[in-house]
Amino acid sequence: MIDFILPLFGRFHPILVHLPIGFLVFGVILIFWSAEKYAIYSPIIKLAFLLGGISAGLASISGFMQFQYEGYGWDTVQLHLILGIFTTFLSFGLWYHLQKSAVSPPRLKIKGALLLAILTLTGHLGGNITHGENYFTEVLPPALQAFLGGEASSNEPLELPADNWEEVEFFTGAIQPILDQNCKSCHNPKKLKGELDLSSFKGIHKGGENGAILENGNARESSLFARLILPEDHDDHMPPKDKRQPRKEEIELIKAWIESGSAEHATLGETSIQLSLVEPFFKKDEKPFYPVVAVPTLAEDSISILRGSGFFAEVVKTDSPFLKISCINFPAFSDSDWSLLASAKEQIVYLDLTGTKITDAILEQVSSLPNLTVLKLNQTFIEGKNLDKLNQSNNLKLLYLNETKVNSGQLKALDKHPRLEKVFAFDTPAADSGTSSQFSFHLETGNLSLPPLPTDTIVY
Amino acid sequence: MQNLDKMLAEFAQQKLEKQTRRHFLMDCVAKVGGLAMAPLMFGCGTGSSELNLSQRDLNPLSPLPPPYGAKAKSIIYLHMAGAPSQLELFDFKPELAKYHNQPCPQSLLEGKKFAFIRGVPKMLGPQANFSQHGESGAWISDYMPHFQKLADEVSFLKAVHTDQFNHGPAQLLMQTGSARLGRPSLGSWVTYGLGTENQNLPGFVVLTSGGKTPDAGKSVWGSGFLPSVYQGVQCRSKGDPVLYLDDPEGMSRNLKKNVIDAINTVNKEEFNAYGDPEILARINQYEMAYRMQIEVPEVMNITDEPESIHQLYGTKPGAESLANNCLLARKLVEKGVRFVQLYDWGWDTHGTDHDGSIDMGLRNKCREMDRPVSALLLDLKQRGLLEDTLVVWGGEFGRTPMQENREGKTQSFLGRDHHGDAFTMWMAGGGIKPGVTYGRTDDFGFSGIEDKVSVHDIHATILHLMGFDHEQFTYEFQGRPFRLTDVEGELINKILA
Repeated sequence: MIDFILPLFGRFHPILVHLPIGFLVFGVILIFWSAEKYAIYSPIIKLAFLLGGISAGLASISGFMQFQYEGYGWDTVQLHLILGIFTTFLSFGLWYHLQKSAVSPPRLKIKGALLLAILTLTGHLGGNITHGENYFTEVLPPALQAFLGGEASSNEPLELPADNWEEVEFFTGAIQPILDQNCKSCHNPKKLKGELDLSSFKGIHKGGENGAILENGNARESSLFARLILPEDHDDHMPPKDKRQPRKEEIELIKAWIESGSAEHATLGETSIQLSLVEPFFKKDEKPFYPVVAVPTLAEDSISILRGSGFFAEVVKTDSPFLKISCINFPAFSDSDWSLLASAKEQIVYLDLTGTKITDAILEQVSSLPNLTVLKLNQTFIEGKNLDKLNQSNNLKLLYLNETKVNSGQLKALDKHPRLEKVFAFDTPAADSGTSSQFSFHLETGNLSLPPLPTDTIVY
Repeated sequence: MQNLDKMLAEFAQQKLEKQTRRHFLMDCVAKVGGLAMAPLMFGCGTGSSELNLSQRDLNPLSPLPPPYGAKAKSIIYLHMAGAPSQLELFDFKPELAKYHNQPCPQSLLEGKKFAFIRGVPKMLGPQANFSQHGESGAWISDYMPHFQKLADEVSFLKAVHTDQFNHGPAQLLMQTGSARLGRPSLGSWVTYGLGTENQNLPGFVVLTSGGKTPDAGKSVWGSGFLPSVYQGVQCRSKGDPVLYLDDPEGMSRNLKKNVIDAINTVNKEEFNAYGDPEILARINQYEMAYRMQIEVPEVMNITDEPESIHQLYGTKPGAESLANNCLLARKLVEKGVRFVQLYDWGWDTHGTDHDGSIDMGLRNKCREMDRPVSALLLDLKQRGLLEDTLVVWGGEFGRTPMQENREGKTQSFLGRDHHGDAFTMWMAGGGIKPGVTYGRTDDFGFSGIEDKVSVHDIHATILHLMGFDHEQFTYEFQGRPFRLTDVEGELINKILA
């Protein structure tokens, strides 16, 4: 009937822990601050340590309940729990100590500082349990992380070598990396959610609180696989709905491993797995189209302002900071409207100014977009006078100049551009002069035709 | 508990739908012209901001980012309605020639059903001359002499298969992913998922040629269970592209604006009373129709194109032709239309008459298609539009290697029956690796024997190129999420760039 009381009390732990922190820090501050006027402040200091002790006691008990009911491993909470209880006793000890003497006890400051240190350590260890051990370090720059000795992230997606994939061990080389990426954050020896450890072959074979998770050779009966393919809304679905979900190909590979007998050391080649199952993991040399740089995401309301100004503005894909801007609904755009785009300088990778009223002068500004990859200037007043400005747009790959006044001499200025792949100059003076393929980029001048054939007029 | 929530949500949806229809009819009963315009009038981006609704509530066609990186932003889908013969165009079968006029082997007929073939038909050798073209060495027949030069621009799928052998269901399957009525078309899915860039034009435009619309009717560009604003807008290839778009005589544009403003004021009051977001969509549809009056006639007018372009496509302004439609497709894509669907009718070559003969009628049909379609690819290429426009070409199925013997009699012309086991399609442009030939058929071109591709695989691949995972792109309807590819579909990785 009241089975829920204790786990419920346990859930109060994250709230209760803040009380002793407040009281005790306050008490210690008063110790240092009251130096000469100890007599005046002593009742408050005493009260702070009494309340600190009581609340630390409650926090310890609720913490213990959470440890009992929420599936934390002893190794994980050990030091945090012991120090928590130690903090409780120390608080009461100090209170009792102050209660007995009317004057300031000797070395009180040292004792206070010691209590503060232990309190801080306890709190930090508790934070590590809920927020993860890399809570602070993960926001640091990578170089600093490495300096601090942070472990290399094991969250890399699985990649297999295309040429000798047969020699990769099925479990250690393919399955464990998938589990590391998708499951390990909860199912590791420290956290042990559901008493399950998926960070090692031993742990997987041991199973969890519901018993074994592998049925020899039968994927559908093995919860290691079956839970992955349950509908996401299902209570037993793993990983939990709000967590990263494994890819379809990863799930297929886990299935294949179980069906191959879930051996620890067999290689992929030995299990005669189908090539199509491993192929999706082959390392691709595919280079991303847009630059690989960290750029802050433009807030949604800033994008709304761009849209309100008349631009088509959209990120290139969900969760990408990069923006695609087009003036398709904004033909009145002219050089003087450039400032409207100022908020998105770093984010713009695709800029379509086709059919607008811009002139050569705008290239100065355009070249200040550091990540610009596609630039369309078709059907504008561009005459190509300062086309060389675009050499500053290091990332530019596609440049559209159809139906403008550029000539091939002006295009020469872009010949040394590091990334420019294609320039389209259909219906321009550059196209008429008939120059082609003398540039580092591919110049498409158009005027393509389909010469008439005798068969064009034969009717059968 | 979850079921209850679902039922409540669906009940609310149904209630809303009923209300909308009533309001719609009440609004339109006195305006037959307005009713005819209804499917053409889409939303726009100028919603009243104080209502705190999402951009999509106000304007269902406002753009959304693709969930994954998109290789293409627009699609031109060329559907040859009636199903062209792959055996005369792309699938070269010299072995079949040796069996010409011989009775079809029993093994091909066992367990098979045909639309018209009965008993034991005779084999029909290829009627075209084939040769290899480009660096890729793709086989293309002399029925398409211009297209032969574009062999390296496209990627062929030689072993496409469908499970339908009648035009209507097969067209529905090809365009909506299901042979039964009621599913949204590919174009509707894409416009629903991405919206459209040009807010003065519809997002999904349909153009037909060949004298008839597809057998399956307008359902092939219908929106199914998606909101009806995502259905294709059929523009006429002759005369006014969109009916009733011109101002009536004596009505100035300012007066029209006043009328629309007045209607919108009433609609806004209606919205304040009922809170139905569909009313907001309606307000925007009026405003969009107003703006479309300018933009549509402009983009649909091909007379301003230079002579060289008319020569390239073989266009004759004013005629209803595939050539004109191909040129329009380029113009629409250039103007930021998301999905342009072309249907060309007249590819059903049964051999029942001259026009339906494999050796004459099909040749004539190919001549009308060869130049415009080749021109479209070239024109997209020279303007750089092929970088992010996907072009798809195909019919709803293929044709038999046997000569049709309708009612057991020999036909007076050479013809082929419907056949879904193996036929050819091609794709080009955004995200497609050019010059690939994927899939192989047996010596008769009867079945695929290597790298077979289903209709769902093609849909999965198209959605992938537009930036979707076809398994995650769903719409909740009747208590379950629906997908274009239902429970099937594999990416055709080998043709992806």
